[in-house]
Parts: sequence; C-alpha cells; structure tokens
Amino acid sequence: MSTLRIEVCLGTSCHLMGAQDIIDAIENLPPDKRSKIDLRGVTCLKTCRKGPNARVNGIILSEITPERILTVIEDNLA
Amino acid sequence: MQVSEVTKIRRKVLAEVSRMALEGDLVENIADILSTVVSEDGPRYRCCVHKERAVLKDRINMALSQPIGTPLTEAAGRALAGERADLPAVNLLPEACDRCPIDKFLVTDACRNCLAHNCIASCPKKAIMVVQNRAYIDKTACIECGMCKRSCAYGAIIEISRPCERACDLKAIVAGSDRRAVIDYDKCVQCGACKVACPFGAISERSDIVQLIQRIKAGHSVYALLAPAFIGQFGPKVRPEQIVGAIGRLGFHSVREVALGADAVALAEAGEFARAVPAEQPYLTTSCCPAFVAMVEKHLPDAGERVSTTVSPMVAAAKTVKEEDPSATVVFIGPCVAKKAEARRYPDLIDFVLTFEELAAMFVGAGLNVAEIEAGAHISVASRDGIGFARAGGVTQAVCDTVAKLAPGAELKPQRAEGLADCLDMLSKMQRGSLDANFLEAMACTGGCVGGPGTMADPRLTAKLLELYAAAAQVAAAPDNPAAKAENDLHRRKNSAG
Repeated sequence: MSTLRIEVCLGTSCHLMGAQDIIDAIENLPPDKRSKIDLRGVTCLKTCRKGPNARVNGIILSEITPERILTVIEDNLA
Repeated sequence: MQVSEVTKIRRKVLAEVSRMALEGDLVENIADILSTVVSEDGPRYRCCVHKERAVLKDRINMALSQPIGTPLTEAAGRALAGERADLPAVNLLPEACDRCPIDKFLVTDACRNCLAHNCIASCPKKAIMVVQNRAYIDKTACIECGMCKRSCAYGAIIEISRPCERACDLKAIVAGSDRRAVIDYDKCVQCGACKVACPFGAISERSDIVQLIQRIKAGHSVYALLAPAFIGQFGPKVRPEQIVGAIGRLGFHSVREVALGADAVALAEAGEFARAVPAEQPYLTTSCCPAFVAMVEKHLPDAGERVSTTVSPMVAAAKTVKEEDPSATVVFIGPCVAKKAEARRYPDLIDFVLTFEELAAMFVGAGLNVAEIEAGAHISVASRDGIGFARAGGVTQAVCDTVAKLAPGAELKPQRAEGLADCLDMLSKMQRGSLDANFLEAMACTGGCVGGPGTMADPRLTAKLLELYAAAAQVAAAPDNPAAKAENDLHRRKNSAG
C-alpha cells in the first residue's frame, strides 16, 4: 500500500502559528485514511516566517491550515 | 484549542516587535509591521486594509506597553527607553472592537403584538415599534439596557450575550453607549477570559517584551522564574531542558523553578491552616491565583480574612532570588495574565511578567528554534506536589500531603473551584457555612494554571505531560524537599498590598 508522507514542522515559529492543529487534524482522520499517511515531525523546514509549514510528498506548503491539509490529503489520496 | 487567525496576528506582532528590538532597529522599522502582518493581497478580516492597519496600530501599542493611540515611532522610542505606561493588564482595543452587531435583544415569534406594548413603553430610547404585527427593535437606537426583555409578559424578547460578556463571570465587561465593549476595572480581576473569548481580538494584555529585551541587552542579571505549566507548551516532543536551554540562549542569567516557590508556599499554607482552622477561622482559601484574590477583594470582601495570607509561588520564588542577588531583574514566565497585575503589587520583587506566548514570540524574534536546542538534562529541584500546583487539584494535594506530615492531628476537608463563577459560588457557600469543607482551592482558570490565557497548548495535554514530569520528581511532597525554604516570611501583612 502506498503511503502519503507528510512532514509537519515542529519548530517554535510554526508551533506559535498552530502546527499542532495540523498534526491533530491528521491524527483525527478516519482510520482508513490515517493508515495511508506516514506522518512525521521535523524540527525545521527553513521557511520560518511563513508557518505553519508542512512537506507533502517532498513539496513544502506554507501558511497551511487544518482545512487545507485535509484538502491536500483528499487530493493526494484520490 | 485551535490557533485562530486573531491569535496568529497577535503572535506575529509580538514576534516582529521582539525581532526588531533584538536587532536594534525597532524605531526605524516599527511601521513596517503594518505592511508585513497585513499585506495588500493578504486575507481581509475587516472592511479594508486601512481598518486592518488601524487595528494593528492598537495591537502594536499593546505589544510595546504604550497607551492606545500613541504614534508608533514614539511608542517604540518609549519602550526602548524602558518606559511602561500605567495600563491595566487587560485592555480593550477600541479600533478592533466590532461593537458586535449581534442583536443582543431579539424579538421572537412568541411576540403577540399585545395591547399593552410594555416593551415600547419601557424603552428609554424609543427604539421599539410595531412592524408587521410584531415588536421590532431599531438597532441603531437600542442601547441594550434590557428593559424590553424584562417588561414583556410573554418572555418574547430574548437576550443573546456577546462572547466577551459571556466569558466574564464577574460581569466586568459591558457594551458602552456606542455599543463598544467597556471594561469596568472596579469589577475586573484581569483574568484574561475575555481576551480568549473575543473573536475579533479586541481585548489584549499589555506586553513588556521590548523593555525586558533592553534590560537583557544592557547586561543586567535577569532571572527567569519559570512556572511549572511550561511543560508541553512548545509541543509534546519538546523536552523541558530544551525550553530551559532556549531561555538561557536569550540572555537570561539563570532559570529558577516557580514550583520550588510552590513548595515553600505549601509549607507556609499548611502551617497557616493547622494554626488558624478551626481555632481562629472556620475555613481557609488558597491565595496563589491572583485573579481569585482580586475577586475576593472586589466582589466578596467579607471573605477577605479567609484568604490565606501566604504569598503566591511567584512571590516566594522571587524573594529567594532577591535575597541571593539584590540587583537581580526578576521575570516571571507563566500562563497567567493576572500575574501582570499581581506583579504591580510587588515592584521590589517582580520586574516583568511574560506569558508563554510572549516567551515563544521572543524565541522567534531571536531566531531560536526550541525544537533544535541541544541541552543537558533539566533536573527539577521541586517536589512532585510543587510541580502539581499548575493543575487544578494540585494545591489541594500539596497542602493535604504537607498537613498530613507536619500536623497529622489537623482535619483538612478540601473543596475545589475552577472558574471564577464556581469560585464565587463556592466561596459564598463557605461564607454561609453551607459546605462541609474547611479548605478551598480556588482557580480562576478551568483546569488550573495549565488552562491559563497565556498558554499555547491544550490544557488536557499539558496536564498529562505535567503529571509525568511531576512523577519523575526526586521527592513527593514539600516537607521532604530540602531545597524548599520556608524560612522566608511568606505571609503578607494584613491590609497591605498583595
């Protein structure tokens, strides 16, 4: 089964802008979707002033919101 | 507890102000914040970019601890000079207040268009008329006094309160004549609940980060008093020693645990309980929550004599630092906004109060990533109970354990209250003697300090992490802790500030 790798930045700047909300949104997905995601925390994605940042399949997404990450997940898993 | 857009804007302002203060170009670049935080093509939350920037100016003034309306370069200059306006901890940002066009009083289908028309008769502003066989409230004339609601025989007019009003258990925030929120400081205890509740971010606490940064840059010995609720504030994967290490990197001379002050408080408060209850008074309440102490003073002064005379853990910890180093600059770092007001009562002991949010903004401004800090293990010198002060029930446990060890004959019957409404209710019952309890733990915030308005993490998560951290403490209770010094005079004199 191919998984979607999502790396969420846990750095202080991203944390201040709500990185934990991105993680919670992914963690709270239904089990069938959650099982297809390889979720990892990284300490910095070097885009600090545009947080929260996440890297999805190698592409950095900035100023991400819980709603947007869920849309990205839907698009990638479709 | 999602990080809202309002919160993000407030944090961006704090981080930018910190960055500029640290880089030494605050006065020159302060106005840049208006275009970096609110860009021309960015999301729009107000009618236009000019309104957004007008609101932002208020936020910047608050971040600099300057009066609303101060020109930005002047405000920056004053902050750099260490000046702090005599502002309350919690302030209304008039430009940001949306004057909630919520129909506070709403005529429902229950209106019968009766003959009496008590609503019309009772309205002092003649704001009610009959439109299409039903009472109609002209919102432009209504001053939200509530006379119509009270006068309607059918209860057909309902009241919908604003978020800020609903959040305030002490009814200290009301709509002014122009429908803007007004804080009544005779009732307000600066708990910060309204700040958290307002979806427009129209209520904010003053921040002294620039003044603190200047103090650090000037080479003063600046001591951080770190409240135990710091656990988990920077994310569940960030270790305590990384936070302590990052504070050191900011230029603080050293980091001390407020939990150690809590141990000293547990010893003093347990001694006070054993001495005074029931011999001198029927019950004793805790005194560590400044919002609760202020609530008693302002709303139930008759119960003032029942509040423990022991100072808060912040003050106890500060006393220890000042004894050791009289020239120390003492900074409390915690989850609490009301501490900013409490610190004003102890100007010789506490120089600054930062929330965890402000600390994080300072880290970001300094380019410090706590998650990447390499630091040795942080060994707490506080007891399990001292660390536990940060969660609801923690003070009770600490005092119970201490009384059991030091005064085993004393009978302690504890009662807990969380939230100011609950505190007021429990205290009133205890005053009347209608509760079978002789010790009240009173916390203004739900969940205790971990639920404070200056936090960045879900209080449920913090409480769990705190429990694990406390369990690893080397000693269980204050009496077992050789580091807990109770020889300080931790009792404030009656009728003195505190």
